[in-house]
Amino acid sequence: MWDWLSDKYDLLATWIFETAIQPVLYQFGLMDWAEDAFTWLDFFLFGLVQVAVVYAVCRPLEAWRPVERGQDRRAIRTDVAYTLLTRLGVLPLLGFILFFAADTWLSGALADSGWIPPTLEEFFPILRDIPWLAMLVYIVVLDFFEYWRHRFQHTFRWWWALHSIHHAQKHMTFWTDDRNHVLDDVLQAAWLGAIAVLIGVPPGQFPVILTVLRVAETLSHANTRIHFGWLGERLVVSPRFHRLHHGVLGAGATGKNYAVLLPVWDWIFGTANFERNRFPETGDPEAPQAYVSGGWLRQQWEGFRQVARALVGRGETGALPPGPHQGALPPGPPAGP
Amino acid sequence: MWRFLARPLLAIPCAFGLLTAPARADIVYVLNSGEASISVIDARERVELRRMPVLREVHHAVLTPDGSTLVIGDSGGNELIFLDPATGEIRRRERVSNPYHLEYSPDGQYLVVASLRRDQIDIYDAGTLQLAARFRQSDKPSHVAFSPDSRMVYVTLQGTGEVAAVDLTKRETVWTVPVGPEPAGIIWHRGRLLIGLMGSDGFVSLNPQTREVTPAFQTARGAHTLFPSPDGRYLYATARVESGVWQVDANTLEVVRRFDIAGGPDCIAFDPDGRLWMTLRWLGRVAILNPADGSMDTIRVGRSPHGIFVMPRREGMRADFAAIMPGSVSGSRPLPSPLAARSGEPAAGHPPPIVAGAPTLAPGPVVTPARFFRRSPARLEDAN
Repeated sequence: MWDWLSDKYDLLATWIFETAIQPVLYQFGLMDWAEDAFTWLDFFLFGLVQVAVVYAVCRPLEAWRPVERGQDRRAIRTDVAYTLLTRLGVLPLLGFILFFAADTWLSGALADSGWIPPTLEEFFPILRDIPWLAMLVYIVVLDFFEYWRHRFQHTFRWWWALHSIHHAQKHMTFWTDDRNHVLDDVLQAAWLGAIAVLIGVPPGQFPVILTVLRVAETLSHANTRIHFGWLGERLVVSPRFHRLHHGVLGAGATGKNYAVLLPVWDWIFGTANFERNRFPETGDPEAPQAYVSGGWLRQQWEGFRQVARALVGRGETGALPPGPHQGALPPGPPAGP
Repeated sequence: MWRFLARPLLAIPCAFGLLTAPARADIVYVLNSGEASISVIDARERVELRRMPVLREVHHAVLTPDGSTLVIGDSGGNELIFLDPATGEIRRRERVSNPYHLEYSPDGQYLVVASLRRDQIDIYDAGTLQLAARFRQSDKPSHVAFSPDSRMVYVTLQGTGEVAAVDLTKRETVWTVPVGPEPAGIIWHRGRLLIGLMGSDGFVSLNPQTREVTPAFQTARGAHTLFPSPDGRYLYATARVESGVWQVDANTLEVVRRFDIAGGPDCIAFDPDGRLWMTLRWLGRVAILNPADGSMDTIRVGRSPHGIFVMPRREGMRADFAAIMPGSVSGSRPLPSPLAARSGEPAAGHPPPIVAGAPTLAPGPVVTPARFFRRSPARLEDAN
């Protein structure tokens, strides 16, 4: 079954590449980018699959047990645009083009220094022979770093000025996951790039790792009244767990529940909230209006303005420590059964 | 259906670490650059026996000068894997910076590594793997080829459309010449360098003495790389935009036949029967082409298969069986002359027949389309 699926996928990817992409590369004298373009096509097709899968999983859940009914469709459309731009590889492609030269320079400089970047498998040789175990370890390690990146987004004023776009959505759905400023995406790419230098990221497994993290992240944003029970809430991030992070409690540095996949990090670092009956309203009351109701372009422009202001100490998106909502949980809609 | 049954059955003994292919079957190693693995194929049954995990991104493989070990470059994992081609056992690993394309000098003294992503060429002592010299190159050093006297190594620079010549004695880049858009594969062939231009529809010839560049032969858009057949009669060239393989007369450089093969043919290895085993980069398959009758078969392997190596397991035949054959004077590691036959091997210049009873090929361009599905005998058509 898996071979059959892989075969069909490869036939489709090959057909698209050979009929639509490669001739264009040739026409514009870009054939030395052919292998990178093929990788990007993989990213694009994988993105389509991801969007289809999360839609098939999340949309029925949102229809079944919504936290909010009658959400603003226009606000959600903006989030759909974010998702398509991100998952279909448009923004990652832009980042790749912008950072390729820097990456080559850095790689060359590292080689010249005599330092050869290590891999996790070098420290734990057993991982060489058990790829699925290596993949699990990489998921845990990457999730740990993602937890801290997320905390830093809420800690530094200038970073919060960007990340506040993500929190400004008052009508959170599974589409909200990718609602991020492009600078924030660039910082994430740099963050993952640094990790790749430190421990390596296996390219063959990376799409799978990315898909696991992405599906978990997307599900956690779904507008659905679901929790995973006492134990489950402590094992995997649920829609309930992450909605609490998107409540006003999550704004700025006073937030809770930063984990992407594994709540254990919040548990360890004292930021967990496991109240299973809390499904608060979402949004950042202090976010600029453009963040709340603007379209993609307006939000991006406002993001640049806000981060510049934050850097010179005049930021508006300032729910930073001590924040105005520190400590108190606002009342949410009634808890489900 | 029998293949679906054969695969798991054959995989059982391999699970215990034994590469127990049916007796005497040749073994083929395929480097899956897109999924960090090496496919091991039983060449007779044409089934994948197993996939060996590697660290990151394997692209090319070469035999050590003594023919005993297959050296595989894992560019993303920054290591060389030294593997016994007869058993599949990994003998050792060495930390090396970004080995993308690699080749030993014909005299066996040096190992040269091209780092596509790091814009550098590294010269290692072949015995100790001590870095002897590092040359920064302008943009995307892609493939390397030696001169038969082992003095020079030539490198295609994809990003700038040039070939750089590095003098191993002086340890310096002695010249760089423009050859055309996006050069990729390069081989030494009878005193000249033949270079595939990905941004063009053919190959060029570079005279290393005069540095004159002239058209060599035409293939189709996206010309990529080429390999001499062990018998020395033909060169086989690949192109990617108009995806296919071209059989070229090694004496006249005239195109003899064209095989249309979808899926981005890349590296080619020859088995002792003269069949071509080639990786189909985009399709995730390996194609086996019999040039005598145009028949073709494909085998599913991992994502983005790139380098490939055929290990013959026949009486008296070694991993470097081609080194005693006439074609060994061409290629990326051209020998000054074929090696003398070793004990048990057929004499030099008398290689095994390509295929028993194969028809003699008439010169002139003939198109032989071959589809990429299993066992599809190709039709012969006129080129024009």
